[in-house]
Parts: sequence; C-alpha cells; structure tokens
Amino acid sequence: MKHLTLKNISKEYGGTTVVQDFNLEIEQGEFVSFLGPSGCGKTTTLRMVAGFEIPTTGSITINGTEITNNPPNQRNVGMIFQAYALFPNMTVAQNIGFGLKIRKEAETLIKERVDEMLALISLEKHANKFPYQLSGGQQQRVALARALANRPQVLLLDEPLSALDAKIRVSLRSEIRAIQKKMGITAIFVTHDQEEALSISDRIVVMYEGKVEQVGTPFQVYNFPETNFVANFVGTLNSAEAEVVDPAKGLLTMDGIQFQTSQDEMKGRSKGERIRMSIRPERLSFASELKKDNVLESVIENITFLGSVVRIQVRVGNTRFNMDTFNNPFLELPKIGAKEQVTCSKEAVMVYSGSSTMEAKEKAPNGS
Amino acid sequence: MKRGGVIWSWFWMILGILYFFLPLLATFIFSLKAVKDVYSFKAYANVFSDPAFQLRFPASILWSVLTIIAAILIFVPTAYWVRLKVPKIRPVVELITLLPFVVPAIVYVFGLVRTYSQPPLLIVNSPGLLVAGYTVLSMPYMYRAIDTGLRAIDVQTLTEAAQSLGAGWGTIMFRVIFPNVRVSILSGAFLSFAIVMGEYTLAQYLAKPAFAPYIALLIQNKAYEPAAATIISFALIWACMGIIQVIGGEEQGGQIAGGH
Repeated sequence: MKHLTLKNISKEYGGTTVVQDFNLEIEQGEFVSFLGPSGCGKTTTLRMVAGFEIPTTGSITINGTEITNNPPNQRNVGMIFQAYALFPNMTVAQNIGFGLKIRKEAETLIKERVDEMLALISLEKHANKFPYQLSGGQQQRVALARALANRPQVLLLDEPLSALDAKIRVSLRSEIRAIQKKMGITAIFVTHDQEEALSISDRIVVMYEGKVEQVGTPFQVYNFPETNFVANFVGTLNSAEAEVVDPAKGLLTMDGIQFQTSQDEMKGRSKGERIRMSIRPERLSFASELKKDNVLESVIENITFLGSVVRIQVRVGNTRFNMDTFNNPFLELPKIGAKEQVTCSKEAVMVYSGSSTMEAKEKAPNGS
Repeated sequence: MKRGGVIWSWFWMILGILYFFLPLLATFIFSLKAVKDVYSFKAYANVFSDPAFQLRFPASILWSVLTIIAAILIFVPTAYWVRLKVPKIRPVVELITLLPFVVPAIVYVFGLVRTYSQPPLLIVNSPGLLVAGYTVLSMPYMYRAIDTGLRAIDVQTLTEAAQSLGAGWGTIMFRVIFPNVRVSILSGAFLSFAIVMGEYTLAQYLAKPAFAPYIALLIQNKAYEPAAATIISFALIWACMGIIQVIGGEEQGGQIAGGH
C-alpha cells in the first residue's frame, strides 16, 4: 500500500479548471517535488493535500485512510510556507511546541520534543528569541522544526526557499533533505525552480496548465523529457523546427541541414512531418575534439562566461544554438565570427510533435 | 527646510496649542476658585463627595468596560473573518463602520427607542440596550484599530499554519490572532472608553446613569464643579491615551517586526 495516494484529483474555480485528473502515488519516506511555472496548479494540489482546498473530484488517502474532506487540523499533515508563518507573539520554543500543546501532550514530552527539534535545526541557543530576532533562514528552520515536532504523516513544503538569498537557499535545501531522510518522513516540495527540484527530489512531478506532464526521477526528467514542455522547462534547450526525412533511418532536416537521430525517437513518424527538434547545450561539442553522428558547420556568435560553465552561441544555418562547455583556466576559446564544426550524437537529438514550443506537448508514440 | 518655513511651522503649531490649551487652562484655573480669593481643590472635593457622581461615574466606567468587551468579541472575529474569507467586501464593511459618524446620535437614539420600546423586543429599559448602543458608537474606533492590526500580520498564512498544526478556530482566535493584535485592541479599547465616558445622548435618552449627563446637570446648577468635572474627564482620557502610548511603544517592536 502506498503512503499517500492522489486519485483523479481535479479542482475547479467558477468553471475554470486549475488541476485536471491528477494521479500520484507516493511511497513512505519519499521526497517528491511538484515543479512547474506559476499558475500550473502545483500549489493548489499541495493545498488540497493540506486540506486548505477541497478537490472538485477525486480522492486523497494517507496510509489507506481517505482524508479528502477532512479539515486541515484533522489530517496530521505538516506544512511549511514561503512566508515562514511563525507566530510573532511566541518564542522559538513556543512556536515549536505549539502543535503539541494543542494536542494536550504532557509538558515533559513537549519540552523533550522541543529540545530535540532545536538540536535538529541547530538553534538551541535561540530557543527564547522571538521570530523577528532571527534571520530568514533561521526562521524557516524553526518553521521546519515546528512542522516536524508533531510527527506529521506527510510534510508539505510550499516554495519554502523562495524568500531566501541564493547561498542560504542552497544550504537550507540540503539541510531540509538531510532532516527529511533522517526522519524518514514523506515530503512534497513545491517549487518553480528546476535546479532546486533536480537537486533535492527522489521524484519530480512536472506540471503545466493543471496537468501532469511527466513523473520521474530527476535523471529521467532531465535526460528523457517526455513532452516538449518538460524538455523546455527543465534545463536549457536548443529547439528548432524540422522535417522528417526518413523515419526508418532516423533522418530529419532543419533548414536543409541533415540531422541524425535515434530510430526510437522517430517511431510513428511519417516522412515530411513537421516536428520540433531539441538538443541540450551540454550535448554539443567542437568536432575538433571528437566527431560524433552529427557534424555541423557553424559560426561563433557569442561567448558568455557563467562561472563553472562557458556558454558559446553558434549559428547553424539560420538557427542559433547554445553550446555549454566546462570552464578551466586553460580553456582555448574560439574567436567570435570564426567558423567551427560542432558535433553531437544521434541520441542527443530529441524529437517532439508540433511546430511550436509550448503548444506541442504530446510526445510521439514509443518515443524515449 | 528653509528658515522661513521653520518659523511658520512653529507659528502654526504654537497657535494650535494656544487654541486648544488656553480654554482648558482657563477652565482649570476657574475650577480652583471655588473658595473666594484662594486657589483650592474645593470644587473637586465637592464633585468627588457628591452621591450623584459616586453613582454615575462608576456607572459610566461599567458601561465602558462592557462596551469594550462586547466590541472585542464582535469586531475582532468580524475583522478577522472579513480579511480571511471575504476580503472583497472589506470596503463595504469599512463604510458600515463609519456610519456612527454619519448618523447623528439623537437620530440613532430615537431609532433605538422606537424599535425596542414595543413587542417583540421590549428592551428599552435594559442596560444591555445602552451597551449595545455604545458598542455601535465605538465601531469606527474599534473596528478600524483592529483592522489596522490585522494588516500588520499575514492573517491567512498564520491561520493555515495554526490549522496544519491541529488548531481549531477557537485556538486560532485566542492564541494566534488576539495576541498579535493586542496593541491594536488596546488602542481601540481606550478610544472606546474615552468615547463612552464622554457620551451624553444615549445615556440621557435611555435614562441610564452616566458621567456626561451628570456634567450637564452640574452646569445647570453649580458654578465651579462643572469645570472640575470637565478637568477630571480630560485627565481620565489623557491617562488612557498615555497608557496606549506606553503599551504601544513597548510592544510595537515585537508585534510589527514579527508580522509580515
């Protein structure tokens, strides 16, 4: 039996469907992220699990018990908010012990649990401070401790890192993940930040316009996107219109330039079909190093230094492609305007239906 | 700011102070002249020893306290609910809270008398009607103070956080919302106190003992005692204001900085 099940969940507001036919099963102790752009329905879905919204259709069960219509205070589901939501009138210790007090737990147990949680988030010295005396990162750690003190069945995190600066965001997300693993708690994490989702999750649910686009591990979602939307939303992508030349041989053409893709990628395609061809920037390299299946004549148009990565913009025919290469102090970069051959393997060329990036979401049958 | 601007600022401020304080000072000096050729607190002693004062002053304090309790119990949940569940109707509710400024007290009290002096609601003689009337009069001060306090905290997120921790509505109201708008409630409460202590029309026409009608009665019959009673009334109101400032100043850091 799965720990948390969302079955055929839909949510409508005044005739507008914001979540449509959402199905998901989550194992005990799994960390699942809902990833998508603003308005894709990820927060609404999370709020339905929390009980702040009631689904229009469908059911939610935790450990086999249906909780679809239970009020939020009868679900034993912990929640962490973007705005921290610590009670300003209470100290850190009082905030952490709030849920236990409501349950009328013994004072000794409350004190014990509060101390345990303070140690977990390494804020023992701040127990008697008020929230306004803490930094944003510290406040969010207290919010985490407060949510965990109740030993919830599921922990929900609604963009908990969005209000923090970049460095704290990275360290706190690792801390959240470590604590979640240590406690073995099932967690759902809502974010629009793909890097966050990729780095922290066991599985990612990519959503778009209220629908699930893909469910998979970070590796699957990044390397084998099932829809054009996922391919575009997760990571950086070179994308261009192309035409199928020979589906059996995996051949297609873009502005008269021939590309080789895998035969799997072309299954179900027909000759002359207009498709969208995509290549990740890191899958392209200069052909001087090693020639792969596709060797393309290009002109260097721009070079951008991004720290650990150098992004080189090349023009192939009439289309601009980004090519990423790892930075090193001895990297020899070409001159802007220079002609260079770039190359990629046939597996690097992904194919999706349709000619427009956002409209075309249906993947070809039996694709990667 | 230019030198000329500063001078004019001081000029208008001093003029305003004189306009406000001169009559008050004159009243105070007059109240000390109950004994010929000597400044004394005789008029104050007369007022404090007057049985009518001893009945009506505590009565007004009682009405004030009951009004404040009723106002807190009605307006805090109302303002909270409007912010949480129906924020769209906030402008309408704000307009309603201003009605006591628009409807003259005399019109209001006649409305109360006409409505509640006949069955099925024959309660015109009940002190409850006076308190209910005062509660309505306190609405602009109380509701708006509470609403301002609620604006300083993220009502929805705090409510949801408390719910996710297992809290019901009662717990949320008394352990999360009330403590976080305490300063605002106190501000509204002291303003309401001052309003009720000085309110004449409702008490007079509903025939209940109160401080303001007592002062009016004194004016008709005595010379120095009305001035003394007026100064007592001012002192009481200023004391309330002082308490608001002290409590507000002490708590402001915690409440405002802690809110979002």
